[in-house]
Amino acid sequence: MTIGIPRALIYWKRPYFWESFFENLGFEVLLSPKTNKEIVEMGVKVADPETCFSNKVYFGHLIWLDGLQPAHHPPASAGPKCDLIFVPRLKAVDEHSFISHPRSARVTEGKLEYCPKFFGLPDLSKILVKTPILTETFDERKEKFEKTLARLGKKLKKRIKEVEEATKKAFSKEKEIKEKEEQDFLEKIKSQKPKIVLISHPYNLYDEYVNLRIKEKLEKLGAESIFIDEVPISINQPPQHKSASNIKFHWEFGKEIMEKIETILNHDIAGAIQISSFACGCDAVLKEFVEREFKQNKIPFLYLMIDEQTGEAGLQTRLEAFIDTLK
Amino acid sequence: MEKPIITFARWGNYTVAFKTLFEELGLKVIPPEKTTSQTIAEGAKIAPEMFCFPLKVTLGNYLPALRKGANTIFMVQNVGGSCRQRYYGVIQEKMLKENGWKINFVDFRATPKDIYSKIKEISGASFWQIIRAARFFFKKLRLVEKIEKMAQYLRPREVEKGETDRVLQWCFSEVERMNREKDFPKLKKEVFKRLAEIKVDKDKDLPRVALIGEIYTVCDPTINFEVEKKLGNEEIEIHREMDITYQIKKLIFPWKDWIIQRKINPYLKSTVGGHGRDAIYEMLHYIKKDFDGIIHLLPFGCMPEITVRPILEKIHQESGIPFLSLSLDEQVAEVGIDTRLEAFIDVVENYHNKKHEDILRH
Repeated sequence: MTIGIPRALIYWKRPYFWESFFENLGFEVLLSPKTNKEIVEMGVKVADPETCFSNKVYFGHLIWLDGLQPAHHPPASAGPKCDLIFVPRLKAVDEHSFISHPRSARVTEGKLEYCPKFFGLPDLSKILVKTPILTETFDERKEKFEKTLARLGKKLKKRIKEVEEATKKAFSKEKEIKEKEEQDFLEKIKSQKPKIVLISHPYNLYDEYVNLRIKEKLEKLGAESIFIDEVPISINQPPQHKSASNIKFHWEFGKEIMEKIETILNHDIAGAIQISSFACGCDAVLKEFVEREFKQNKIPFLYLMIDEQTGEAGLQTRLEAFIDTLK
Repeated sequence: MEKPIITFARWGNYTVAFKTLFEELGLKVIPPEKTTSQTIAEGAKIAPEMFCFPLKVTLGNYLPALRKGANTIFMVQNVGGSCRQRYYGVIQEKMLKENGWKINFVDFRATPKDIYSKIKEISGASFWQIIRAARFFFKKLRLVEKIEKMAQYLRPREVEKGETDRVLQWCFSEVERMNREKDFPKLKKEVFKRLAEIKVDKDKDLPRVALIGEIYTVCDPTINFEVEKKLGNEEIEIHREMDITYQIKKLIFPWKDWIIQRKINPYLKSTVGGHGRDAIYEMLHYIKKDFDGIIHLLPFGCMPEITVRPILEKIHQESGIPFLSLSLDEQVAEVGIDTRLEAFIDVVENYHNKKHEDILRH
């Protein structure tokens, strides 16, 4: 049996984890390809015109997995590619679980929510595609993550032992990657080049098509780019910069980004760029506070909005101008 | 600290009730300005671009009141659960302070305890005074809501065109002026007498249309370009379930949400924040009641409503009921809305007549 996973949006919240989990359970996993023009076009066509760009991209990936090819393709390639498509309903997360590194895990009572647009994803997906949707509600206010996984395994007719084993393996793989990321970060932060922090959601940072290869472009302009997602939160090093805003986010990414900004401000940073998808409701709130944080520390700040019509040339000009202001 | 002069977020015809609440607490109130295209433009100018529409509108409403001397703003938090409404207070405070206003921003959560403690802190009123003020507030609120409901029934049936709106205007201004709880029963009687005097044609068979969607845009006639009035004048009976009492009931009694969730389970298995679930529930409810059309109102980019819109469209396709979704923001022109409403009215009337013919034939 093949399980399809759209390589967009919520996938990037836990990359590698899901495919590793399902593979360990003995399923075949089909990841949709990296975002390309066709996928974006398909997504834009089926999605509500006012929903955010990231959601449109996600729907494009769903349609790809469903096997409905656009009309100009030969019909031979049509047909279902997988038996199930995995669309989890992510609702709330334990405050400490987004930092998977045990050293920095802080146990607090607060439970943080995901973007409300994630709540309805499985239901919207059911409307869009013919392939059955595999889903489970991940709400850590009510139930532990591992327990939800066990329930998910039961749905797939797997024994609890097997699920536990698969979960453990998937976690260790995720940890391995996080540790490597941390190593990379420590190396990058020592670099002599001007360092630029890219602030966004993981699904904008890691999807190269969506962010128009901004990392590559910055490197060509002689800057070192650091994803906010890679920044470790360390408790050993109390932040020297006390945050100016007293805002308390109930969003998992909001709190995470604000905390990581405080950490990164301890290092020597040349500039900051925030990328946000068009019509992203959460970023409208987040941007105000991210911007204030950098402005108070007199660090140049650039706000980029991306959507299906963003052109590479326009972005290039803006980046060049931004790099010039750093010197 | 200087004496607080209160202003607050404007909310359609219910604004008068809020004004009374603060006045009864012995506070000086400068009510927020009535929403016009000017206040909207002013609010949109200083608000974050991608933020949802009600934030810009209410921000525009504060500004004239602040110019007249108000220095304390009341804003409610998290009426919408998971949605952005939670951050209205912080963002508005930030925006106003960045624009040079020295204000005290009271950002309270929609729980009885928090409301009580914040009011107590600002006004210094005694427990009984707060209870009395709240009682008067609810009386006025109920009256305004009742008047609105009656107008929805009367307007399409009136014999002399425009009479309902004339009486309505009188009613609202009287309700606003009346400031002694003792006079309330007399006014109530007078209001209902006047409304009863409107000549109506009771036997008319009219198409019925329901308004669903985001609570602020549905309830405030100055935001939704008076959809209720426009459709009423075209002889269509309007229904809507959303008003402040509905919201307050939902805050106090959780089972309303449970019932809603059970009803909409085939379509959506989770909350999406705001009034996303309510919209689906209401649409299903009105289809069951054999309505002739549904209008879905939302502010541009409203996260919960955008999430449920594909589901509403699916229900529309399954049931065949006429459906119109209008998203409103500062760039929407009234003429555009009018054109879409006119086309929608034709569809509704056809749908209604066809249903009628089918009944006669059988």
